[in-house]
Amino acid sequence: MDALIVIFLSGLISLFVAFTKKPILVLLTSSIGILAAIGLFIAQWNNPVTLFSYEGLEFTNSAILYSIAACIFGLFSILVGYNIYSKQPEHTGEYISLMVFSLVGAVCMLAFTDMFMFFLGLEILSIPIYVMAGTKKSDLRSSEASLKYFLMGAFATGVLLFGIAWTYGATGSFKLTEIATAISTASETGQSSILYVGILLILASFLFKVGAAPFHFWSPDVYEGSPNTVTGFMAAVVKLGAFGAFYKIFNVAFPEVHGFWAPAIMVLAVVTMFIGNLSALSQVHFKRLLAYSSITHVGYALLTIITVSSNSEANLWVYLFGYGFSIIALVTIAQLLNDDEDKIDAFKGLAKRSPFLAAVAVLSLLSLAGVPPLIGFFGKYLVFSEAFTQYPILVIVAIANSGIGVYYYLKTIIAIFQKEDVSEEKIEIPSLQVVVLSICALTILVGGLVLSQYKML
Amino acid sequence: MEILLIPSLFALLALFVPGKVVRVFGLVGGLASVILTCVLVCKFQQNGGQAVTFFELAQNNFGFTSKMGYDGIGLFMIILTNVITFIILLSNFNREVAQNKLFTAMLFLMQAALLGVFTSMDGLLFYIFWEISLIPIFIIALSFGGSDRKRTLTKFFIYTFVGSLAMLASLIAIKSYATSFAIEDLMAVELSSKVAFWIFGGFFLAFAIKIPLFPFHTWQPSTYSTAPMAGTMLLSALMLKMALYGMIRWMVPLAPEALNDFQYPIIVLGIIGVVYAGVIAIKQSDMKRLFAFASISHVGLIAAGIIIFDKENLTAALIQMFNHSLVAVGLFLSVDILEKRMGTRKLEELGGVAKLAPKFGFMFAALALASVSVPFTSGFIGEFLLLKGLYSYHWVVGLIAGTTLVLGAVYTLRAYQLSMYGAPKMASFEDLTWNEWLAYFIIMAIIVIVGVCPQMIIDTVGPSIDQLLESYKISNTIIK
Repeated sequence: MDALIVIFLSGLISLFVAFTKKPILVLLTSSIGILAAIGLFIAQWNNPVTLFSYEGLEFTNSAILYSIAACIFGLFSILVGYNIYSKQPEHTGEYISLMVFSLVGAVCMLAFTDMFMFFLGLEILSIPIYVMAGTKKSDLRSSEASLKYFLMGAFATGVLLFGIAWTYGATGSFKLTEIATAISTASETGQSSILYVGILLILASFLFKVGAAPFHFWSPDVYEGSPNTVTGFMAAVVKLGAFGAFYKIFNVAFPEVHGFWAPAIMVLAVVTMFIGNLSALSQVHFKRLLAYSSITHVGYALLTIITVSSNSEANLWVYLFGYGFSIIALVTIAQLLNDDEDKIDAFKGLAKRSPFLAAVAVLSLLSLAGVPPLIGFFGKYLVFSEAFTQYPILVIVAIANSGIGVYYYLKTIIAIFQKEDVSEEKIEIPSLQVVVLSICALTILVGGLVLSQYKML
Repeated sequence: MEILLIPSLFALLALFVPGKVVRVFGLVGGLASVILTCVLVCKFQQNGGQAVTFFELAQNNFGFTSKMGYDGIGLFMIILTNVITFIILLSNFNREVAQNKLFTAMLFLMQAALLGVFTSMDGLLFYIFWEISLIPIFIIALSFGGSDRKRTLTKFFIYTFVGSLAMLASLIAIKSYATSFAIEDLMAVELSSKVAFWIFGGFFLAFAIKIPLFPFHTWQPSTYSTAPMAGTMLLSALMLKMALYGMIRWMVPLAPEALNDFQYPIIVLGIIGVVYAGVIAIKQSDMKRLFAFASISHVGLIAAGIIIFDKENLTAALIQMFNHSLVAVGLFLSVDILEKRMGTRKLEELGGVAKLAPKFGFMFAALALASVSVPFTSGFIGEFLLLKGLYSYHWVVGLIAGTTLVLGAVYTLRAYQLSMYGAPKMASFEDLTWNEWLAYFIIMAIIVIVGVCPQMIIDTVGPSIDQLLESYKISNTIIK
């Protein structure tokens, strides 16, 4: 709770500090705030602190774990975006504080105990992103991304509210635990059909938020149009928040009717994997490729939602954690390549132009492809092996999909090592980017091996 | 542990040493591993051939133990890896690539990954090293390979990666019955014959692609001919040995229940490979492709021998693996010497080299003879024992497999004749440099020593094979 307040205050202070027109101060206040919040979160591990007697937010260990990851990704997004934001000193404050406020929403979404707080978190998370997606004002695609995301997002929010209302109608409560009790009491007499409608509506809005088929159409356009930093933020933080909430609602409030929603997610997970993979195969734009590959990754991650196991939540976290580092590293590299058209061809000859960037890019791509011993492999392994006992066929389909996926990651890697007709121009890497990319590379390389030694939750 | 640390350390340092000394640095690294191997062999023998475990962590929450160690078979593979890596470094010494930091680093990374594969005693760790080994070879071939490498290497990577995923699926499946990934736990699992069939099948797909067995071989000739010399040597001499080793150590012991179902098909595929690839090799005009097909032909025989899974055949298979690695390295070195100095490897455009470069002519001839398994070379021992084993399995199988001797002689001697004899088609041909000569000498020396007294190898691997077969028999009787 106090960490949440710290993040919020740092965003607020950054906003006012911006009046000095000194971007570096904004950067400092926001990053110190987020770092302090991470410290507070770590201090509360196994030792929750309650401020006020408010019950809508509860920082359990799992909420803390997810929040720390969200804070790290938020901080990285701010750091790698700084060079661009600071070019317009009068707007730096807005860009950075919007990101911090969005992070506040993400943390709310990870720690809620009732639907009300969840909805609030979702909106706090989403609204700044609608704005941030459109910050490249001279670029038409950026405006398109912003508008598209806003319209679709608003619609999904409506559906969600509708679903919450139906669920309330069936169970008479907003609190997750009370909803669960009401459902299990009613299971003896037969569930009210209102509940099922509510669950389906909530499910649909979640599938929209995480970008799963058949609600994925917004994501390639939005990913492509948004500034790279925002794309990274969306792929890392928003996914983390949405999946954290998704897992919590369905496995805390609705476990009793698992048999009703699990088959639906099962089918959609398979559809999502195939749609993402098959569409990614022929992409020529790098961020569109990332968008489609992220759809596939959502398909894999959906397996954890339906796997009934005490490890599922931790596995989902490891998966999203590894995914976030890769995606932030890749969008940062794409930004440094500075190619307006955002073609995969821009990666050609990267190995010559900047061995450091090439190494990080190859590591990230291999991690996304699931090559051991990188963190992406451990994420995938944990998700698949946990799901195997319950859904063997589904896991085999998912593994087959990893095989398809390797093609488009390989395409980029081959471009990186290309020697013919490439520009010789060296790439200058600002020091903030070097720090972030180094941390990403290190985590990708050894994170999996280290994390696999511990039981997270 | 130092066995893995040395190559990893050299891989890392190779990126930072100055460009001029990087090839010397590489050679020193290769030599260090060879010396360490000698020390390990001595220690192993002093302890009476007991299996060694050199690294183990406490089992984590999903059963990953990171257990590493080796018995006789593992040690044998370690010797093979380190010796071959040294020979590869030596034969590349006067090539341009040897001065490249990335190349040297990747070569050492490859060595580390291979050693990891051969010393893993944990299923997941085996898979991890197995996959790591794909990256350096891919980068070597991609950065230093010939024309059309984009398409070829994409095919190679996807082929092998999909195979590995099948193995991952099998590992996940078998783990769902076991408490941990440690090999003893995985071997103790009893499977119904249906489950065992699928698990065995997953492993088989991964290994069949890597070996490669007919009809999974289509990536191999083009990849071999596209990759630079060192890449081809790594692929043929070491990478495919991972798969053969995997069959011995993992595939059969983990799911012995399915051995009966798979034995016959694998032998048939192996034999088809022997004849099919042998016939194609005869018609090739590109020397590298020729030896690539020859490689398919030889390993088909080894795979067929392994799957019979008795002591005689396993020993023979291991000797033949050793022999095949050495011969393959030597032959691909010969092809590369011809290509570097003549600018082509087409048989029509070569000829008369033996007159101009007698040292090279002699060494190449000796290798060609070793490749067709003349007595007193290691090839004779391995091939003879394998054919004997196949013959006692079924006489028809033995008969068809026996054609490998004829076919091998035809394609190898044809290649030698067309390239080395006849009227010289060039004015001059630089004879072997010292490093090439030394590489050939080491290869020939080992081939002859093993050919004359194969007992050394049999003694090293014998007890371990007995042990392996015993545990396999135990799990087999439980089923019956």
